[in-house]
Amino acid sequence: MLFSSLADLFQVHWNDYVGNIAGGLLKTLGYTFASFTGASVVGLALALMRLQRLRLVRIAAAFYTEIFKNIPLLAIIFLTYFGLPSVGVRLEVFEAGVLSLVLFYAAYLSEIFRAAISGVHRGQQEASEALGLGRGKTFTHVVLPQAVRLALPGTNTMFVDLIKSTSLLVTISAAELMTQAQLIASETFRALEVYLVISAVYFAICYPVSQSLLLLERKIHAGVPLSLGRRRRLNLAKSFLAEEGADP
Amino acid sequence: MMAKPNNITLVCNQTSGSPAIRISGLHKSFDGRLVLDNVDLDVPTGKIVSIIGQSGGGKTTLMRCVNLLERPDQGAISIGGETIFSAGNVTCRNLARLRQRVGMVFQRFNLFPHLTAVENVVLAQMHAGGVGEKEAVARAVKLLSRVGLAKRAVAYPEQMSGGEQQRVAIARALALGPTVLLFDEPTSALDPESTGEVLRVMRELANDGMTMILVTHELPFAKEVSDWVVFIDGGKIVEQGTAADVLDRPREARTAAYVARYASSG
Ligand SMILES: Nc1ncnc2c1ncn2[C@@H]1O[C@H](COP(=O)(O)OP(=O)(O)OP(=O)(O)O)[C@@H](O)[C@H]1O
Ligand SMILES: [Mg+2]
Repeated sequence: MLFSSLADLFQVHWNDYVGNIAGGLLKTLGYTFASFTGASVVGLALALMRLQRLRLVRIAAAFYTEIFKNIPLLAIIFLTYFGLPSVGVRLEVFEAGVLSLVLFYAAYLSEIFRAAISGVHRGQQEASEALGLGRGKTFTHVVLPQAVRLALPGTNTMFVDLIKSTSLLVTISAAELMTQAQLIASETFRALEVYLVISAVYFAICYPVSQSLLLLERKIHAGVPLSLGRRRRLNLAKSFLAEEGADP
Repeated sequence: MMAKPNNITLVCNQTSGSPAIRISGLHKSFDGRLVLDNVDLDVPTGKIVSIIGQSGGGKTTLMRCVNLLERPDQGAISIGGETIFSAGNVTCRNLARLRQRVGMVFQRFNLFPHLTAVENVVLAQMHAGGVGEKEAVARAVKLLSRVGLAKRAVAYPEQMSGGEQQRVAIARALALGPTVLLFDEPTSALDPESTGEVLRVMRELANDGMTMILVTHELPFAKEVSDWVVFIDGGKIVEQGTAADVLDRPREARTAAYVARYASSG
């Protein structure tokens, strides 16, 4: 019974659609990386703005964040792709898609980054400045690395969420995975099968990504030095210690 | 073991040559409340001055003014003869260099938790002192050995006891070869055993002739190492003199009350 219904379920000649799926996958990854990079940069800028002394700057950033956190991503996508042309701004699908995702995710990431930066103890900045590091170097060498550790769990969640949200771009025919799925479904009339397979593809990307990010979190938490510079310095230290006969 | 010569008072009042730290007429207020009220203090090179006093008296604020972590309102400060602050203005051209000459050790250690002990000592050498990587690491290892922590060099702060962390913090403060060290209650957050470890390191620095300002409630230690003791209350220097004078024969009632309290509560 079950066997025959499974055989019934899978009838699409998937070999014919490998190109579509692969192309869609690449597009999905393209949207993901471009948007995530953009959203991180804008998110960090917003977070820093919200930590400024100047009230006006703080309010501007808070205003942005509240707006984009409280409207649906789909509305942003429609506004940038269908809305903007009526005021003369005509964006390519890719541009509109990335812009929408950046606008939306920057708001969330800024909240995560702001909490992380202000979660770094004030004494850290003082200790660094007392050692003669300027504001900039204090931020890059002392505050930021600690903030990154604090921001990692939330940021990782957002990253996986962003991968899945690219599927909303089906509404503007962005040629990513979900758009390809819609295409295949309309050609084969096998909606259940097609969307099951596409869901499996999303899962096959998102699950390993979230697991690897979790592993990365654990490694960093366990104090595994990730940068080459840090490894080099630690090895140097170990060799000096060995010379002194004080193996750590 | 640290018998003090008798001419200390003379040394501390010396006028010839410039003292390592000279503070004069210092005022600082927070939100209109005066926290430092016309403070004068000279710390001659190679001498150790302890600052004692009740909580809220302005001890930390005074220390933070010396490396300009806090900006005074009025008065003057000079370090090694160079005026760094005068008449309400920072006159030191290179704040980073000033801070490299003035090491600071905090009550709560403030080690960088994302870095190992040795990297804590390396960081400022490379990014503020312009020391090359290899030299910085070599020096860090030497300094950690000096504070008895070579074996803990690649441990993270959270894996270390309070006493170990504070000794790393001292090594870190020494990394850029400061001419003076500021200690703000370096043992207040420590248990007696850790306190002993940290005081041992500080005693060695004292013996080596390091110039220090020490804020502490450890009166026996203050008495042992200090050339000069200053009692501060309500932002004013109430009394100052040799350790024996201030701690054994206080003239002011407030000093006597403070000394009695901390002598009994350890
Ligand atoms: N950044 C600040 N803003 C406002 N008030 C401050 C600030 N820093 C210190 N104060 C106030 O200045 C006064 C002196 O503080 P300070 O920390 O210098 O005292 P302290 O003698 O070091 O005390 P403790 O023994 O508790 O460390 C206190 O009343 C404190 O509340
Ligand atoms: Mg204090």
